[in-house]
Amino acid sequence: MAQQAPCIVSVDVTTAAYNGYLMPLDAYWNAEPESFRAAWSESILSAARWDGELWGVPSWGGVYAEVYNRDLVEAAGLDPENPPATWAEYMTWAEALSGDDQWATAILGGRTDTTTRVLLSWIYSNGGEPFNADMTESRFAADPRSLEAIKTYLGLEAKGLAAPGATTINYLEQTNLFAQNRIATMRNAYWSVAKVLGDNPALEGKLFVADPPMNVEEKATVATMTADSISSSCAHPDEAWAFIKFNNERKWAVQRATVANWMPLRNDVSDDPEIASNPMLRKFVEIGGYAKTYPLPHPHWADISTNDIVDAVQEALLEPERVEEIFQALDAKLNEKLNDV
Amino acid sequence: MAAGIRQKDSVAPRPGRAGGAVAWRGAGLRRERFHGYLFIAPAFLLLAAIILYPLIHAFQTSLHRTRGLRIDFIGLGNYEKILAEPAFWDSLAISFAFTGIAVALHVALGLALALLLNEVRFLKTAIRIAFLTPWMVAPAIGAIIWMWLLEPQFGVVNYVLRSAGLISEYKIWLGEPALAFGSIVAVDVWRGVPFIMLLMLAGLQGIPREQYEAAEIDGATRPQRFRYVTLPNLRYLLIVASTLDFINTIRHFDIIKVMTQGGPARATEVLPVLLYNRAFLANRFGEAAAIGVALLVIVLALTIVYILLTRPGRASES
Repeated sequence: MAQQAPCIVSVDVTTAAYNGYLMPLDAYWNAEPESFRAAWSESILSAARWDGELWGVPSWGGVYAEVYNRDLVEAAGLDPENPPATWAEYMTWAEALSGDDQWATAILGGRTDTTTRVLLSWIYSNGGEPFNADMTESRFAADPRSLEAIKTYLGLEAKGLAAPGATTINYLEQTNLFAQNRIATMRNAYWSVAKVLGDNPALEGKLFVADPPMNVEEKATVATMTADSISSSCAHPDEAWAFIKFNNERKWAVQRATVANWMPLRNDVSDDPEIASNPMLRKFVEIGGYAKTYPLPHPHWADISTNDIVDAVQEALLEPERVEEIFQALDAKLNEKLNDV
Repeated sequence: MAAGIRQKDSVAPRPGRAGGAVAWRGAGLRRERFHGYLFIAPAFLLLAAIILYPLIHAFQTSLHRTRGLRIDFIGLGNYEKILAEPAFWDSLAISFAFTGIAVALHVALGLALALLLNEVRFLKTAIRIAFLTPWMVAPAIGAIIWMWLLEPQFGVVNYVLRSAGLISEYKIWLGEPALAFGSIVAVDVWRGVPFIMLLMLAGLQGIPREQYEAAEIDGATRPQRFRYVTLPNLRYLLIVASTLDFINTIRHFDIIKVMTQGGPARATEVLPVLLYNRAFLANRFGEAAAIGVALLVIVLALTIVYILLTRPGRASES
């Protein structure tokens, strides 16, 4: 069993493919009928492609939207039926939602790649592009829109609109704060709703989701993509492919969404009665329509997203007056790393 | 009669020996030695399998550029790279600062507690067990407990300190570099003091009462008795305990990994955490192995110091 990976794996596709851990799936994929392949959009499939080959079948994901606590919104005199659509409106709401030991939101700055996901969703909501198209250049500071989004988002703590201690806040801490009514909104995926309701069942029926506030016309946020892949050492790839097909059948995509809060990545499930009858899930699916896929397609993305970008976010949170300088240093570091392939 | 038998046994010629002292330099001795090697062979093979082989493999890995299954020999390239990186030197400095402060506090507090416990006359066993509890808790579990105690919004530490009027606003214990460093040192001290305390207590109980009585008759005060009787008697034990504790603490990983993961902004990234992050977050196993070898060299140097300090001659002098 030495050096023998499980046949079916769900990993960071590009990094794993580059490292030689995965088997290309094009032969299997192309042998399937059009009716099977049509269930995935090219946009979603592109997140599972690297170096011209397909390395996984997109199975499920998480769309980053803005989740609100209806009670806190109403207590602040705000209208839950008209959540903020722009950054300016969001700042107005944030001011109203912050008070004694309560904040509008939480910035994620802990050492996980969730920090990077939320940062990217803010950058995208300002029309920013922190990397060039072929992922050979980092532009966090070089792209004015990216830098503006970074300053706005990370500046929320200094303004008293985000919970203090952002450098220690990860998914767990963020959902704890939300479940305990200490923050009124959180940028998160549908699975966070299950976590919050598990922590505080009294919030059942009191949460609502909306588009992340935008600062540009074209909407964009982040959607994570988790794919089913076959390891390069698999001795039974045909059987593995058969299981991947089974695991990605429409009914299981719906079940994963309704039971586990994992967003479907097939494009033929939004009209399913179980999804259509759940307003919150339906909204997440709708937001997923304009989301950009994550992780980004680069072999070093796992390192970049978990180490380099998180380090820069933590430094910027600790020294807000040096944000631009810190992200310029990040660009320089990443430019070297992106081209070291 | 018995003495006679022993004498007879001790000089009786054995197979293969001509007899007398000269025989111990012959073929019989070589065979005896061979048998000796056979006896230690299983232990040696076991140690080689679980220590020597991984060490050689780690060194071999450190000479390669590894990207998953893509492995290229680059000689000392990884060493050149890590030694040129500020991250490595920062991490080394953090490791020595963390270890130095933690060991000093382990020894100082361990000795102080041992002195107190040595005076206890009632419930001795129960009190000793109570003091040993932090050492009995698995480090990762202790770290998780402390994470929640130090949590900024809901943690007990902030609540107690604010209720007592000692702080005006909640502290982000693990979110600011200086506080995070202080917090991991404090948790390591909480975990590490009991063992040193136990060693010191054993040492204190080995000091002859007569020495204290003689000092008292000579009019020595309590601090003088500590300075001129207790400390000289514990000197050897203090050197051994602090050296071993230094070697143990500089390799610490679990508490820091759980509590801060080396953050914020790498303020608590000691060498073992840098190694972990480089291997398992950055997928750069060659560089991680080079960091591991560097750490091994440091620990080996400390071990040599320890061996020199505890040589039989020096030990008996002490």
